[in-house]
Amino acid sequence: MTVLRGRGVPGQGSPVAASRTRSWAGSSGGLSRRDLLRAALVGAGGVALGGTLAGCATPSAAGSGKTEVMIWDLFSGGDGALMQEMVGAVAAANPDIAVDSTTLEWGAPYYTKLAMTSSGGRPPEAAVMHVSRLAGYAPGGLLEPFDLDALADLGVTEADFAPAVWEKAQFDGQLYALPLDTHPYIMFNNPAIVQEAGLATPDGKLDLDAVAGADRFLDAGRAMAEVTGETGVGWGYQRDTAGCWRMFWGLYSQNGGGYELTPGRPAELDVEAATEVFEFLQAMVDGTVAAKNQDGNAASGRFMTARTGTMFAGEWDLPMFRDALPDVGATQFPAIFDTPANYADSHSFVLPRQAYPDPAKREATYRVLAGLLKEGLTWASAGHIPAYQPVVEEPAYQELSPQRDYAPAAEIAVFDPDAWFTGGGSDFQTRMGDAMTDTLAGKAPARTAVTRMLSEMDRFLSQPNPA
Amino acid sequence: MTVSNAGVTTPPGKALAGPRTPDGRSAARAGTTPRSLRERDRSGYLFVAPFAIATGLFLVWPTISGLWMSFTNQSLTGTGSEFIGFDNYAEAFSDPQVWQTLWHTVWFTILSTVPLVVVALIMALLVHTGLPGQWVWRMSFFAPYLLTSAVVSGLSAWLFQPDIGLLDTTLAALGLGPVGWITDENVAMFSIALVTVWWTVGFNFLLYLAALQGIPAQQYEAATIDGAGGWRRLISITLPQLRTITGVIVVLQLLASLKVFDQIYLLTKGGPNGSTRPILEYVYDIGFTNYRLGYASAISYVFFALILVFTLVRLMPARKEA
Repeated sequence: MTVLRGRGVPGQGSPVAASRTRSWAGSSGGLSRRDLLRAALVGAGGVALGGTLAGCATPSAAGSGKTEVMIWDLFSGGDGALMQEMVGAVAAANPDIAVDSTTLEWGAPYYTKLAMTSSGGRPPEAAVMHVSRLAGYAPGGLLEPFDLDALADLGVTEADFAPAVWEKAQFDGQLYALPLDTHPYIMFNNPAIVQEAGLATPDGKLDLDAVAGADRFLDAGRAMAEVTGETGVGWGYQRDTAGCWRMFWGLYSQNGGGYELTPGRPAELDVEAATEVFEFLQAMVDGTVAAKNQDGNAASGRFMTARTGTMFAGEWDLPMFRDALPDVGATQFPAIFDTPANYADSHSFVLPRQAYPDPAKREATYRVLAGLLKEGLTWASAGHIPAYQPVVEEPAYQELSPQRDYAPAAEIAVFDPDAWFTGGGSDFQTRMGDAMTDTLAGKAPARTAVTRMLSEMDRFLSQPNPA
Repeated sequence: MTVSNAGVTTPPGKALAGPRTPDGRSAARAGTTPRSLRERDRSGYLFVAPFAIATGLFLVWPTISGLWMSFTNQSLTGTGSEFIGFDNYAEAFSDPQVWQTLWHTVWFTILSTVPLVVVALIMALLVHTGLPGQWVWRMSFFAPYLLTSAVVSGLSAWLFQPDIGLLDTTLAALGLGPVGWITDENVAMFSIALVTVWWTVGFNFLLYLAALQGIPAQQYEAATIDGAGGWRRLISITLPQLRTITGVIVVLQLLASLKVFDQIYLLTKGGPNGSTRPILEYVYDIGFTNYRLGYASAISYVFFALILVFTLVRLMPARKEA
């Protein structure tokens, strides 16, 4: 269409040139250079305009009689392919709905776009959001709460979700996020190395007791380092501020750490507990247990080439690791301190506020989202723990290994602290990670990281909530 | 040349001032056919229109609306557009992060501008002395400039990779310890400046080469006859002749370096520990990640004012010379 329109326009331009030629015929007796230029200019303008107009016309389901539901997600790579598969299955089951799924790159810019489209009034019908970002979105009126009755009609109720996740999806007593999964920060392992280091249970899997407690964990790391000849534990903290934060907040929660983040007041952390966490991490990043000065790519590379025994990473890295190590094992985060806790976040669906709500679209959206939750088994193959419990209880899920081995992480999941500025892809996580890199690299004492984090937290608390 | 011409053909005075206005002379000639004069005038506007519209829409209007925004608490989420006076500016001046990131930008500008001028000059001089295969040199010095910032950052991230990157692996093979190229607070900015020099030096090189080729050969011939050696010719002819273009290159380079954002955002995201975060990334973080558009605009305008003052100070002596 663009091409046709573009071609047509120079035709519109030529009459202009022709009339010029006529009026000047007496003096110059032909088409002047200026006329040609002018015609070309008008033509070019027309082409540009035509192109723009054609670009504006989005592919529409109008005419086919289908209700169009647009969903934004942030899943690329293997996750993205699985989401497309799930969307395909849901679309097949609902022939009256056309699902238009748009994948945007994950990270801070995703949330910038989501906030802008919501404030613009014509957002997608639904979008994927980390549940940890809810506190920054729900209060500002960017999202609409879910209608629990409508969800119940589709077979989705509170009883179908793990309490920790369901609670995190609430704001002001209403459900603002429909959790799709829980994705914890876990520990992968290479069974061959684990067995050789004497850390395996009789069935050949990593024995969580052998890595429980700071001292035993470090000993286990040294034992694996002896097997590999390099390092025992893989963790890349350089250039990965989010990874630093996940590690810290998980361990801090294990150490019973409480917090007080009240806007306008100084931040409060349990300084002793936080310092202990950094002392442990410094002891771990000693060049033997875990490599010094390592980033995520280097750590993954070492783990996949059997030069390190275990690896701290998000479960979403499972497909990548499994390509290199088909029998890769995975467990929940080891219990380094006393309180059971495992850092996690949750992909959830939210309903951005519509300036022009359409009941038919809303009804279709609910059906699509409920359908996607029930396709959780597909989603689980990427490593994610489905939030919708009936899927987890299916025998098929119980056969997925190593997924079933770290599924208990969902029950002890801890999320980001509740504040408008926290969450996945937030500036907060970057700043926290920044504050601890010197300490992790051994260039500053453990206490310094805590002091720096507190001062960064104070800065966030002193700023107004923009939502 | 212009000066001597003017001296010969017209008496000193205002004789030229009138007719020199755009189209003045042709207007006098075309005066006999007023209709075609009008045609010509209107066609001028037509030619200017696309540029004027684009400038108005994408430069003038955003500049004005950004200035207005800096006096409000406008949020990206659409809330809060009340006028709050100079609150944002007061916050900007008392925000240590503004000064810290501004210093990072200035530090990067210093680290990058000096080599970008000196290295470009040396490369241009070497090529101009008549190395064989000129086009190979020209192309290989200029080629990196054609890459996008994402490609440059991607490549250098792999070179700088801690522990397993090409540079650290090479150093290890030589028995040298690893360097925290982009992970050590004291080194990261140097690494970014190094990449930037490799990436953009080609443009300055090209400007210098063009200027070198513009130096009249007679001057060198005369100097040679007078017995001047290579060094003498370089010091007394080449370098003085390059003074004007050096001024241009320095100003262009300073402005380009002050705008640094892409390669830092892509390589280190401002880390480690915020040691490479330039002021533009801070503006980006405040505005687009933390949604505080009003405050981000205020910081932008403080930065804008500083650059403006700096540019005017730099341009004023240049005006006098001209």
